[in-house]
Amino acid sequence: MVAGLRLQRLPSAHPGIALAARGAAIFLALLLASIVLEITGAAPLELGAQVISATFGSTYGIEDLCLLLIPLLMTGLAVAVGQQIGAWNIGAEGQFYAGAFSATAIGLFVPGPTIVILPLMFIAGAAGGVIWILVPTLARAYAGVNELITTLLLNFVAALMVYYVSTGPWRDRVGMSNSATPRVKAEIPEFWGLVHWGLPLGVLMAIGFALVLSYSKWGYEVRLSGSNPSAAKYAGIPVRRHIITVMLLSGMVAGIAGMFEIAGTVHRLQGGISNNFGYLGIMVAVLARNSCIGVIFSAALMALILNAGIILQTQGLTTSAVLAITGLILFLTAIGDELAHYRITRIKI
Amino acid sequence: MDLLTGLFSTAFLAGGVLALAALGEVLAERVGVVNLGAEGLMAMGAITAIATVTATPYPMLGFIAALAVGALFGAVFAAATVWLRANQVLCGLALTLMGTGLASTIGRSYSGMPARAVFERIEIPLLSQLPILGKALFSQNILVYLIYIILPLALHYLLFKTRHGLNLRAVGENPAAADAAGIPVNAIRFAYVTAGSALAAGAGAYLTLAFVPSWSDGVVAGRGWIAVALVIFAGYRPIPAALSGLLFGLITALGFVGQARGWPVAPAFLSMLPYLGTIALIIVPVLAWQRMRRIMAAPAALGEPYFRDVR
Repeated sequence: MVAGLRLQRLPSAHPGIALAARGAAIFLALLLASIVLEITGAAPLELGAQVISATFGSTYGIEDLCLLLIPLLMTGLAVAVGQQIGAWNIGAEGQFYAGAFSATAIGLFVPGPTIVILPLMFIAGAAGGVIWILVPTLARAYAGVNELITTLLLNFVAALMVYYVSTGPWRDRVGMSNSATPRVKAEIPEFWGLVHWGLPLGVLMAIGFALVLSYSKWGYEVRLSGSNPSAAKYAGIPVRRHIITVMLLSGMVAGIAGMFEIAGTVHRLQGGISNNFGYLGIMVAVLARNSCIGVIFSAALMALILNAGIILQTQGLTTSAVLAITGLILFLTAIGDELAHYRITRIKI
Repeated sequence: MDLLTGLFSTAFLAGGVLALAALGEVLAERVGVVNLGAEGLMAMGAITAIATVTATPYPMLGFIAALAVGALFGAVFAAATVWLRANQVLCGLALTLMGTGLASTIGRSYSGMPARAVFERIEIPLLSQLPILGKALFSQNILVYLIYIILPLALHYLLFKTRHGLNLRAVGENPAAADAAGIPVNAIRFAYVTAGSALAAGAGAYLTLAFVPSWSDGVVAGRGWIAVALVIFAGYRPIPAALSGLLFGLITALGFVGQARGWPVAPAFLSMLPYLGTIALIIVPVLAWQRMRRIMAAPAALGEPYFRDVR
């Protein structure tokens, strides 16, 4: 190190530098991925141009992007909400499945006009998500069991359950497909092209959470319990009750995401319906530094990356390659976040 | 083979995956680092092993290649979390996403094919003649002995009977005190996180060369996460870690027996058993035995990066 200069670690990172670190992480990860593509014989620049023209060259492209944005926004919001109180909800994937499952159950088996069925599906989806996170929540609140592993393990249970009903008892016996349920008739209406009202609703939810967390007494207590549980407890804040409420809300948001996916986009329950949205939601929340408003933008970014992967499938790229690149971005972001804590100061010798 | 022998034979075979990965996780967590990348490391190990035996007919070479790849990824993870002190949860999740995604991408050309060479069963003379246990434990592939007998005993000895083991436990409990006593905290953390990662990838190789034995997308199926949970259940000790792997092998084997015997339960529900069982096993003991908490406690500095200058 240069004489007279030293590294100093600050207790918290400067938000601007942390944001810049995220930009750098994304750029570096994409650069590394391009280098790998170049080595394996693909032409990354051409592929990039292809992605941009396919995404922004037509309204279809932008519509597809928005349809990916809706679930990513919601699962990202779910993870970010949990983080407000320091809970890691890695189970958004499972709660998404559970929400999709219960919404489909209503959509398939309850007769009635769409105007009645849709709200019922919404409630069912939300309830599905809540039920799916209930055991991890109670275990965390009353026994101190780390919610990270319990929420995650339930993802596999939910995936198996959905796979079972969509290939077994609920499978479409009329259509050609053996691995999906019949079409759910109640549909969320479109508000622009193929994009349904889930998008404005999701954005509103994010803004709503941001406002409540920033400006209400409850939000203040939750944030305090998240950043310093023992101080919060000492101040008489019911930390345990807040943990339970916030985690259940987190599960609810992920469940609603599953409901939107069924009623707005896919219209059938099938194995793999969650499409890794739950895991990518972790990424969305981390990129947004757990800000509910920031989630809107980072979800847009993730949608872009995921969409690129889908467009490039014809070129031999897969969604699993997207998952790997996402992991790389997350890894570099984590490093960048820590490095953003440092500043170089001049010292007198 | 009668039912009980078959059950235990499958249990030892199936549990080996979890036991080996859990042993690796014990190493990392004992020095104070949570490695949530186990799932991704297993995926990388699994595909490395398959790719290796497709090229050469030696399963042991596949296993060693997986260990090497695991150590490489583990070293990158350890460099980020130990030297750069990046957030362990984020880096672990990132490693899982990277490993899983990368393995699936590479694995597309290997999907569905049975492994070219596998670890064959070896009958140990005399011992394999014992009733039940003989067939179940002593006529398995060679890795089973490594996982259930050699490795747990060796690690137990290392951790609890040697000075070096005392040092490395000190690193996990109180890095500042360890540092003051002249123990190289970060070097020890780096070494054991890397070694633990190698074992996790080795567990992946065991999965595709001895247990399944083939590659398909999603073949790891959360076993890495179960292994992380088992370490908590085993109280961060190697011998209980191996035994709890066996316990989960038993649950898996029960599911197989159920399918084979045509129990009136859908296979999907039997497949849920290990996940639900894991959740029950990490919740119930906490509620049931409050007194066990101290004995089973995690290393005090688990998950915390060590800053020498900020104390």
